[in-house]
Amino acid sequence: MAFLELANLTKRYGAAVVVNGVNLAIDQGKLVCLLGPSGCGKTTTLRLIAGFAVPDGGEIRVGSRVISKAGAAKPPERRNMSMIFQSYALWPHMTVFENVAYGLRLRRLAEADITKQVGAILDVTKLGALAQRYPGELSGGQQQRVSLARALVVKPQILLLDEPLSNLDANLREEIRFEIRSLHDQYRYTTVYVTHDQTEAMTTADVIVVMNQGAIDQIGSPEDIYKRPLSEFVARFIGGTNIFRGANAGNDHVSADGVVLQCGSGEFGPSGETAVSIRHHDVKLSETQPDFTSNVASAMVERQIYLGSHRDYLVRLQTGATVRVVSDVAVDIPAGRQVWLYFPPEHCRALAR
Amino acid sequence: MSLNAETAAETAGLRRSIDLSRPIFGLLALALCVLVILPIFWLAVYSLQNDAGEWTFENFVILATDPTILRAFGLALLMALGVGILATAIAAPMAWLAARTDLPCRSGVRILVTASFVTPPFLGAIAWEILAAPNSGIINGIYRWLFGLEADAYFVNIYSFPGLIFAIACYTFPYVFTLVANALERVPSDLEDASAILGASQLTTLRKIVLPMVMPAMLAGSLIAVLQALTMFGTPAILALPAGFHVITTKIWSLFQFPPQPGLAAAAALPLLLITVILLRGQKWFLGRKGYTVIGGKSGSARITNLGVWKWPAFAFVAFILSLAVVFPYAALLKAAVTTNIGEPLSFASLTWQNFNFVFFEFDATRLAIWNTLVLGISTACIVTILVVVISYLVVRKSFPGSSILGFLATAPVAIPGIVLGVGLFLSYANPVLMLYGTLWILLIAFITIEMPAGYQQISSSLSGMHPEVEEASRILGASRLTTLRRITAPLLKTSVIAAWCFVFIGTIRELSATILLTIANTKLVSVIIYDLNESGNLGAIAVLGLTLLVVSFAVVIIAHRVPLIARG
Amino acid sequence: MRGFFALVALLAGLIAGSAHAAAPVPYGITPALIAAAKKEGTVTYYTSLELVAAEHLAKAFQDRYGVKVRVERAGSERVFQRIGQEYLTGIHNVDVADTSDAVHFTYFKRRGWLSQAVPAEMARLWPADMRDPEGYFAAFRADLSVIAYNKRLVQPQDAPKSFADLLQPKWKGKLVKGHPGYSGTIMTATHTLSKALTWDYFAKLGQQNVMQVQSSTDPPKKLSLGERAVQVDGNEYVVVMQQKKGVPLQIVYATEGTPLVVGNAAIFKTPAHPKAAKLFYAWMFALEAQQLNSDFGGVRSFHPSVKDNSGRPPLSQIKLLRSDTKELEANLATIKRRYEQYFGT
Repeated sequence: MAFLELANLTKRYGAAVVVNGVNLAIDQGKLVCLLGPSGCGKTTTLRLIAGFAVPDGGEIRVGSRVISKAGAAKPPERRNMSMIFQSYALWPHMTVFENVAYGLRLRRLAEADITKQVGAILDVTKLGALAQRYPGELSGGQQQRVSLARALVVKPQILLLDEPLSNLDANLREEIRFEIRSLHDQYRYTTVYVTHDQTEAMTTADVIVVMNQGAIDQIGSPEDIYKRPLSEFVARFIGGTNIFRGANAGNDHVSADGVVLQCGSGEFGPSGETAVSIRHHDVKLSETQPDFTSNVASAMVERQIYLGSHRDYLVRLQTGATVRVVSDVAVDIPAGRQVWLYFPPEHCRALAR
Repeated sequence: MSLNAETAAETAGLRRSIDLSRPIFGLLALALCVLVILPIFWLAVYSLQNDAGEWTFENFVILATDPTILRAFGLALLMALGVGILATAIAAPMAWLAARTDLPCRSGVRILVTASFVTPPFLGAIAWEILAAPNSGIINGIYRWLFGLEADAYFVNIYSFPGLIFAIACYTFPYVFTLVANALERVPSDLEDASAILGASQLTTLRKIVLPMVMPAMLAGSLIAVLQALTMFGTPAILALPAGFHVITTKIWSLFQFPPQPGLAAAAALPLLLITVILLRGQKWFLGRKGYTVIGGKSGSARITNLGVWKWPAFAFVAFILSLAVVFPYAALLKAAVTTNIGEPLSFASLTWQNFNFVFFEFDATRLAIWNTLVLGISTACIVTILVVVISYLVVRKSFPGSSILGFLATAPVAIPGIVLGVGLFLSYANPVLMLYGTLWILLIAFITIEMPAGYQQISSSLSGMHPEVEEASRILGASRLTTLRRITAPLLKTSVIAAWCFVFIGTIRELSATILLTIANTKLVSVIIYDLNESGNLGAIAVLGLTLLVVSFAVVIIAHRVPLIARG
Repeated sequence: MRGFFALVALLAGLIAGSAHAAAPVPYGITPALIAAAKKEGTVTYYTSLELVAAEHLAKAFQDRYGVKVRVERAGSERVFQRIGQEYLTGIHNVDVADTSDAVHFTYFKRRGWLSQAVPAEMARLWPADMRDPEGYFAAFRADLSVIAYNKRLVQPQDAPKSFADLLQPKWKGKLVKGHPGYSGTIMTATHTLSKALTWDYFAKLGQQNVMQVQSSTDPPKKLSLGERAVQVDGNEYVVVMQQKKGVPLQIVYATEGTPLVVGNAAIFKTPAHPKAAKLFYAWMFALEAQQLNSDFGGVRSFHPSVKDNSGRPPLSQIKLLRSDTKELEANLATIKRRYEQYFGT
């Protein structure tokens, strides 16, 4: 039995349906990422879980007890959750210590216990030396760590993170990302993490939930999501890909843009039309014609960029469609040259949606 | 917390989306409606009835045809316009000098501007009577002595239309000053740098970049000054009556003389209300053109212009203005306080404690009035502060649809001139059903209504600058809405709360226009006593009371800043 | 609620309907009355007497009987307006009041807001036309509205002798006067003069650039300040008070006559402090208070034993202009309208 369940969860703002019948079951101790572009309903879903918003339909259950249903919600303060906010939301009138101790004080712990537990979590988050500082005196990364410490110290049943890294610069983002994951490994709180950044999701999540237009598009492990996308949206959103859209040609073949592609995996569209996804780095580029009957196309190099570890090509098919190819640095073909593309069938994935 | 809609055991602890804030909203909306709409309702009713209680347009016919009323309206508008222009003309350059130049003693300038703001305008007007009455005025005395002129020559005459404009402008220019100075401080220096790098001189930059950017704030400030002047009662009553003319507020007041004509007074109040609403819309329009004004971000602090050789002339200008508004009037009051006859020259021999003795020991109305003033000032300040914190919270946090209506109601009294509110409240609460006239309660209601908009503006703007996540963080960690309000929101708002409190307190103790219609002997306030004393010409006593009022209000403000009103969370 | 103002405004048309009993038996100041008054502790006194004079009176009473007097001072018309507002809204705050507009007390009486009370001393000594036959009120004081000037600014030989003199061009911009809308003294004087000199006189006076103040106590103070040289009207007693302070003011009893202003006093119907009110009212007509009023306040008294120590001529030697209360009452609105027409406020 899953620990946190969203059943047919729906939220509207006026006429707009922001969360549309979301069903999700999260096992205890798992870190789940809600991933999607802005406006896909992921933050609203998180706020519904937190109890800041009341659903218009469906239910949220924790350990099979209903905590939210249409028109009614247990207030946030009685959910035993904690949350990390995009803006950190530290209280500027309290020191780091007081910020972190706040939740414990609300729980009326003895002052000695508070000092001990806050000290411990500050050490874990490498903030021990900063306990008496005010948030205004800290850097962005330190602030986010305080926010983490504050959320973790209360030992929540469920930990919620709302785009926690979006206000940090790239280096810090990477550092904190790993820190969040290692803290999770240490404490094993059931965690819901909202982000629009796929790398962030891939590095931290046990399960990724891709959301689009208020609904869940696909649920799976990072590898599932990347390797076995079920829709064009997921394929495009997670890692770059080339999409060919064409008619089913039978026998695992799809004909698109003058190329016949044999697909090694995936599902074909029921209406006779199917999209085929192939990742940039899975396309083979050569100046000589490959020795295959299908999955081959001739094209012209439009531009080429040297990126140190690899080269990034943009090539144009005869139909005018463009294909992006990432190749080994050794493959060096200047722009304007005629080339051959090979799309290996094992990397061609048919997408019904 | 009894409002939870707890259903089955399985869903125990679930709360319908109605929580405490909804009944609070209902109560507040009701209270605000009573405060704001009831007096206006009665005004409308009375304006449409004749003395026998029949429905009629008679009052409006009189209003439109009586030349004395029309003249009072015309003069009031002219006066207000004059005040707006004069106040802006002196305040805008002063604001620039204080905010953006190396003018000497800039903090001193701000303190004196604050002193001018704290001064009740009617007290300033009385001080200016002492200074600039055509014959007995100190300034005219010096003028005649300097030039050896005969006894009835005078240099300035405060009992005149220009004199009235001047005396009002002295105590309304701080509105323009504050708005412009704040706007100037928010013009980031990189915008000026951008202009400079394109080859513009300092003057060109000032004219083409800085001025247009603060223009909306300046116009808004001018409109406030116009509005203040238009609705002011005390100063015209003191200066315009001796000069032999009425403005609309004094005219409305005179309609309450025996036999009272409340219907006509109500009818005359309504156009004033209308003009105020139009002016406020104008102000909103000026400030609303955001692209023009809003200068967010921390892109460099304001740059200081070096005045060079103009430093001392500029200083002289500022010092002169502030002397006129603050230094001279208080010096005159001080002189009046310690002499028996203000007409006599000051000497050690003529010093006397008689006025102090009279005010504090012989004149028994004083102590009661000071007590009433303090009680009302402090309770109004506390009630308004609590009200506006709750209202701002509900509005800014959009607790539920329709909460913005509270914001509208809380700002609406801005449009009700004090004298109009006084009339309305008198009509509303002087009846057998609800007999509040004659008690401090009616004054409390008046003051709460009058002061709410300013307090609301202050709190709601600082609350909207506070990220809601700061509160949500507290709630998700286990604090209820109320605990969060107490331990997070309130401490964070502390500075603005104290500022709003002081603002309301000062506003209350300087109020006269509604007060004058609503007090009786037992509910006298210092402002009314000063007005009464002026009527019978007791300048010495006025001076003592006025200075006392000032000292007390400064003391209260200082204490309010010192004492932590809200313990730190 | 609705009836409130309607009733006030119906004043002019109201006819005395109720039959009043004859004057009650006069009462004296007895130890029992004093004891009862002391028990009440305070008496609330609304007056249009000059503030310092009123406070002086209050202090003397308090020193004598140990009963505190709460003085509420404003111009007569404002005292009247205030009492009207209060009584019509059911506030019975006032115990004893006096104003310098005789109309007020006939109105109060008609409304039934006054108590009958005749102190023995007054019953014995007061002229019959200076008290209400039914004992509801009596003339507590009399005053004159006089022309006066500041001797520092005007030489005696240049001084005006009559109201007509004030129309001379040389007084333009040098005159000060009170306002009939605020002051009962000025209201009475304006009515009297409009009868004696016609409204045409005021139309011309309005061209003289007169400084307009509200209370009739204020013009003498404006003279003292040197703000204006001559007052058209104003309390004689305040001029006397200023003279006592050493200010060189000079009173002129105009050749056309000087308006006499009678200041009535009464106990109200349901005073909060009935015994203290009775005691204070009796004392107001006693020699002590009347002499004090004359000596310190400079008002004229109807008490035959009061010695006027100011050296000014007794009333018998002054040509007095008396006003008709009924006529004045009927003309209130007209006077104010005309006045605003000529003087702007």
